Amino acid sequence: MMKRFGKTTTKTVMAGVLAATLLAGCSNSGNAPENAGTNDGGDAPVTVKVFKSHMGVGTIPDANNEHVKYVQEKTGVIYEVKSTPPGSEPTEYLNLMIASDELPDILRPIGGIEQTLIKQGGALPLEELLPKYAPNVWNNIPKEAWDVVRSASPDGHIYYVPKVFLVPERAPMIRQDWLDKVGLEMPTTLEEYKDVLRAFRDKDPNGNGKPDELPTSGREFGKWMDHLFGMFGVAMWEGVPEWDIYEGEIGYAGVSDNMKAAIAFIRELYEEKLLDNETFLNKGDVWTAKINNNLVGSWYHLPANLRDRYTAMLQGAPDAYVKGMPMPEVEGYEGFVTMKSMGEPEWVIPAAAEAKAPYALKLLDFFYDKSNDEFIRFGIEGMQHEVVDGKKVLLPPEDSRPIALGMRNLTTEEDMATRIKETIPEDMQQMVTDIFAVSKADARRIAGDGLPNTVYEGYPDIQSHKLFQEYLTKIVIGEWPIEKFDEFVDRWNKAGGDKVTERVREWHAKLGS
Amino acid sequence: MKLTRGDKVFQTFNYVFLFAAAATMLFPLLQLLAVSFSSPIAADSKQVFLLPVEFTTATWKHVLQNAELWRSFGITVYITVAGTVLSMLFSVLTAYPLAHKDFLLKRPVMLGIIVTMIFNAPMIPFFLTVRELGMMNSLWALILPGIIGTFNMIIIRTFFMGLPKELDDSARIDGCSDAGILFRIYLPLSKPVLATVSLFYAVGYWNTFSRAVLFIRDPEKWPLQMKLRAYLTSPEELASVNMFLGDYDFNTTTLKAATILFATIPIVLVYPYLQKYFVKGSMLGSLKE
Amino acid sequence: MAEWMRNRTAPESRILANMRKHWILYLMILPGILYYIVFKYVPLAGSVIAFQDFQIFKGIGGSEWVGLENFQYIFSYQDFYTVLRNTAVIAFYQLVFGFPAPIILALLFNEVRLMLAKRFVQSLFYLPHFLSWVVVGGIVFELLSSQGVINAVREWLGLEQILFMQEQKYFRSIVVISAIWKDVGWGTIIYLAAIAGINPNLYEAAVMDGANRWKQTMHITLPTMFPTILVLFLLNIGNFLELGFDQIYNLLTPMTYSVGDIIETYVYRAGVLQGQYSVTTTIGLFQSIIGFALLWIFNRMARKTEQGLW
Repeated sequence: MMKRFGKTTTKTVMAGVLAATLLAGCSNSGNAPENAGTNDGGDAPVTVKVFKSHMGVGTIPDANNEHVKYVQEKTGVIYEVKSTPPGSEPTEYLNLMIASDELPDILRPIGGIEQTLIKQGGALPLEELLPKYAPNVWNNIPKEAWDVVRSASPDGHIYYVPKVFLVPERAPMIRQDWLDKVGLEMPTTLEEYKDVLRAFRDKDPNGNGKPDELPTSGREFGKWMDHLFGMFGVAMWEGVPEWDIYEGEIGYAGVSDNMKAAIAFIRELYEEKLLDNETFLNKGDVWTAKINNNLVGSWYHLPANLRDRYTAMLQGAPDAYVKGMPMPEVEGYEGFVTMKSMGEPEWVIPAAAEAKAPYALKLLDFFYDKSNDEFIRFGIEGMQHEVVDGKKVLLPPEDSRPIALGMRNLTTEEDMATRIKETIPEDMQQMVTDIFAVSKADARRIAGDGLPNTVYEGYPDIQSHKLFQEYLTKIVIGEWPIEKFDEFVDRWNKAGGDKVTERVREWHAKLGS
Repeated sequence: MKLTRGDKVFQTFNYVFLFAAAATMLFPLLQLLAVSFSSPIAADSKQVFLLPVEFTTATWKHVLQNAELWRSFGITVYITVAGTVLSMLFSVLTAYPLAHKDFLLKRPVMLGIIVTMIFNAPMIPFFLTVRELGMMNSLWALILPGIIGTFNMIIIRTFFMGLPKELDDSARIDGCSDAGILFRIYLPLSKPVLATVSLFYAVGYWNTFSRAVLFIRDPEKWPLQMKLRAYLTSPEELASVNMFLGDYDFNTTTLKAATILFATIPIVLVYPYLQKYFVKGSMLGSLKE
Repeated sequence: MAEWMRNRTAPESRILANMRKHWILYLMILPGILYYIVFKYVPLAGSVIAFQDFQIFKGIGGSEWVGLENFQYIFSYQDFYTVLRNTAVIAFYQLVFGFPAPIILALLFNEVRLMLAKRFVQSLFYLPHFLSWVVVGGIVFELLSSQGVINAVREWLGLEQILFMQEQKYFRSIVVISAIWKDVGWGTIIYLAAIAGINPNLYEAAVMDGANRWKQTMHITLPTMFPTILVLFLLNIGNFLELGFDQIYNLLTPMTYSVGDIIETYVYRAGVLQGQYSVTTTIGLFQSIIGFALLWIFNRMARKTEQGLW
């Protein structure tokens, strides 16, 4: 099946091409698992093709690679990495792989491709195989997460290994040095927060004599300003409304009353120039530059990425210091930091690769085995790390160096602590750790965590949140009054939102049972 | 030639307008150049305008020492040269009969070709067709499936059709065959359009990207534009360079700027070279003979 | 019946005779025809998925036929007419302003007498063509931001700042102007080639007759360019509804959706992100049919005066 296509060129007759292309599509039928023979052999190493998109820079390792060999020694499995070429649309690329019958033995799905597989009978049920071949995966992932996975399939089978992220990744952040300069404490209520923002606007906390401060800011499409929504108990994920419990039932945060209140509040901020008036025009790099240049006082992002920003801030403001901001309290609402921690698909095994499933799972298990932690993190000396003063230090990825496969996607608090130690310079470690602590106290897993995106099928505008974005931005910049929000709710329902809500409720009921 | 007052006013206006507009077009590339020679922090903070801030050559060292990038560069040069030559051959051979007054199938064939210009094949069947032809992972997949650019071919045809019909007749009297007329009369007279279309093809091949994504699995055969995308579209991954301890004098932003220039400058330089064929009166000599 | 037979056989034997006489022309075009069949028509047949509920796992052979259901789906989309109108309006502007721009620029270049200046300016004009829309989009956003040049000028004039990118009334102008800026220089190349083909004797004769530059342009340069202009115009018309995804996508914000959401951005949401290949193909087919109808009409008109495309 995987023969080298380059060699068979001229044999194909034109008519044959026509027929084959049009009719075959991707008939999977005739393909018996060609490696069936190696199954019982036991001794001979088995090659498992692993597909993972976005592998980053570096070359794809071959069978002689030391990292591959080490894993082979431990598991008897030779891993062969397949990845998307740079610049390709990963979903489209995976679809091509399906269409041309080139599915790998285990893959990390993107863009809801796992649902295509499940629906069309192309995914292998794993609940029997996992305990047998991958006990570490089975036991290390909490049962709750497996339940979410079951709920995402029409027949209750476990079709994939989920991603699990047990710590909040995002946090509201604030410039402590600015608070000190304007002589205010960390805000605890909405009113105090507004006072702080006003002081940021008027009292020149960056000390350059110009009124150029942007008390708080966000990005295009309303991304990365989740703190302003979160205060009102709105489940937001990078500017995208999520599904959570409103008035006792699961529903779209975008059409909730909480959302209406939040948008009204954000409109006020915008009008008073407390929210960067160019928020909805900020591309990522512009937004980053504003933070780097000591123009922004309060924002929402990943504390783990703070390093470069903070280094830049220090250039212009040697006493810069960033703290996590607890969600200011708003009367009548329960604010929180939205957390999605489980249920997103991480690994699927195509039904066509059934014969190799035990090996694919063995390979996966290797990465979930605690005793391999050190190797998984540091890999091989000279390839993934070097030893400096007796300590292992990771090498930066580079075009010419082979990448090492990693398959574990289970982040516990302990993992996060280690990651901070390894990637953040010592003098910033405490700062980042503190920020995480603050956001963790406010974090809550939302009810819609793990929702399969099949609920959106046939309703692209609901899935893309297009309507929401339009109303949010136009109301905030003052082009439309807040009353227009009701029209939005109406239009959203008519555009298919009501149908999607029904599906979500069905899913949620199934999850609870 | 005498210039009237109006002519002079117009000339002045024309120069001012053209130079001012041209300056706006040079600006983005100059800024990229400045960014590529600046420090990462200055670049990320958007402090760079037209001159580098905290000048460093670290980014360029990193780019120019990157063997993978050079290999991709070589592949792109190869497909650009080979592809352009083959495309020109195919296009001229197709355009000539379609411009020939005695070719009876002219209209149906043209219509058939135009249809393919307007109706695009869906991606998956296109992919499967090329794959069935055994071109997966072969550089041929970057050349053959687009070897005739319909637009380009039609441009050549239009030019051929504009050549005086008397040329044909006199050549025929001199005993030239149809092929002889093409190679001895038409082609030498068509230098401007052939230069133009070659340029179009060359730029097209140089920018080969989507087909490479579909058909080239082997990273060793990736053309330059794919390498470039690796820097442009996955900033988070590249940013990981900085996620690790150690001080680097370059980052995603400066690398992006440098790789854009690295992938653009060579092809941009082709144009001034080809320009001499657009010089007025290049046809004159051949016509007077 | 017999008459019909005669009428039918006559052209066939005519073609055979033509083939015998001009066999080399048929030989020359053979590779081209093969190319179009193999790489264009064979995959084009895959468009039948517009009439299927295409399931990627089952392929074309295994997927269910649904007739015109996909067409119904796109026509019943509540914003379909907005999307179609936006596309047509922008396309119309592009045609009215974008299409003549390189022609005018080519004529302006033609008036530059200093060869060195001409070559230098021409080379600069075609630089932006090589920048991707991501880069150009970024430049446009920055240029029009509160810190950008335009607002700096407004401030200097004592005018209030305008955030152009979030006001829908400016969106279409921005699209048209940025497209012209990016590609006008590139577009002139083809016309310059046409101008280069003009016999200088014609100009000399015109000068003898006392024609000034303007008259020379109107009576010699433009008419010579005309066949090229016509062909380009027709080719443009054929792809009327295809604006190109990259530009709009990189300039669009939620605040300009109502004027800037076009067919391609809808396809991206509905087809690519949702993996609905049948829907994408259906919309593509719809665009092509409109384009082909327009081309057919204009080609007929062109044939009355000049050469058409076919």
